[in-house]
Amino acid sequence: MHLSEMTGGRIRGTFFLGLLAVAFALAIPQARAASPAENFVSVNVQKGLALLYNHGLTQADKQAQFRDFLTSLTDMRRIALFTLGPARRTASPTDINEFVDAFHEFAVAVYESRLSLYSGQTLRVMNSTARAPGDYIVSTRIIDPNAQNAQQPLQVDFRVEDENGKFVVIDVSVLGIWLAIEERDQFTAFLDQNSDSVPALASHLRQLTQQMHNGGAPSSQPD
Amino acid sequence: MATVRGFPLLFLGIWLTACSTAGDDRAANDPYEATNRQVFAFDAKLDRNILLPTAAFYTQVIPGPVRDSLHNFLANIDLPVTFANDILQGETKRGAQTVGRFVINSTVGVGGLADVAAKLGVPAHTEDFGQTLAVWGIPEGPYIVLPFLGPDPPRDAAGQVVDIFFDPTTYLRYKQHIWWSAGRVSVSVIDRRARNAAIIQSIERGSVDYYASVRSLYRQHRQNEINNGKTNTNDLPNF
Repeated sequence: MHLSEMTGGRIRGTFFLGLLAVAFALAIPQARAASPAENFVSVNVQKGLALLYNHGLTQADKQAQFRDFLTSLTDMRRIALFTLGPARRTASPTDINEFVDAFHEFAVAVYESRLSLYSGQTLRVMNSTARAPGDYIVSTRIIDPNAQNAQQPLQVDFRVEDENGKFVVIDVSVLGIWLAIEERDQFTAFLDQNSDSVPALASHLRQLTQQMHNGGAPSSQPD
Repeated sequence: MATVRGFPLLFLGIWLTACSTAGDDRAANDPYEATNRQVFAFDAKLDRNILLPTAAFYTQVIPGPVRDSLHNFLANIDLPVTFANDILQGETKRGAQTVGRFVINSTVGVGGLADVAAKLGVPAHTEDFGQTLAVWGIPEGPYIVLPFLGPDPPRDAAGQVVDIFFDPTTYLRYKQHIWWSAGRVSVSVIDRRARNAAIIQSIERGSVDYYASVRSLYRQHRQNEINNGKTNTNDLPNF
């Protein structure tokens, strides 16, 4: 065999091996590196769901641990001030602080109640979008491994902000419904009906929180 | 879902164009709030005293697999309406998914009783003419609560009327057609109420103002449907 034919053959062989390598690389899904915000949601929210599913805890212990967990994960004061709407500009500092305390307990009870519906399920982070510098929307799906039928995974989004190097959750959306926005809509409606009284709102939140802990009937039902 | 309504299309068309949403301040676009609250109170009483107990009875008496089959069947016969609106919105990929789901579930899924398409990875979605109008740029109109029907702003109400004409079963004429239609609507309503019982109870328990909560939930959920599940981050407020 002539030298040039051998060399040509080697080059062709190398070329085809290279093509094969590229084909394999393209065929194997490249694992996308999760962003810091996605990691934050993935690790912490799964902890929360596991906590709610922990049947080894008493109700009181579960509530206490969930409260600490939620407090560490969120900026509760900032969410509270957002839900107050325009009244945050006119209320006194004392009334605002009283409201923030009441909101904190109320929000823990609400989140515990709503997220309990999904306890024992698995969270899968899909992707994230930067709404603004340091403001991210992390999109996830909650999957019920025990679903009897072919239930579609639930779309849950987390709005996460970077506050001085620490991530906090400031809102959660289930099927496109943002909880803090819904709470703001309710609270501003309540204030409209109650002469903009922030103390009245704080008092009502404390009542509702107690009722939720007791599993009682809602007092907000229309007559 | 296409439902039988008595509203003349012309009246709704005039109403729709006369009333427009007031920018981003959705809460302000409830000019009939006092009346809406009264109608809402009536609907909530009906829900508490009739629909919820019926849904609970339905859940207790009808086995889970049968309820799932009924749910799948009803969702399947709604697919022609979804398909028509997929096309009107220019969503050809979603339209193809809808056709795929209908064909697979109607055949392999035994007349729609089994959601085989979901197991094959063909995702479900719903479209209606109210969403189509939104995609075309028609504003929602003022927030309206209707007796028995609940939140139904003019755009959505008009859409429901049009969807009746997209539903092939509208054109079927057979003995006791009216009873079939009434039965379909009834079972759909009861099925949906039964499936949402836990979350609605959770929402009601944690509501400071249940009327305002439902208004916010309705609008946000509707916008999510119009956006096909995608979050429009520009619409989100600053904290």
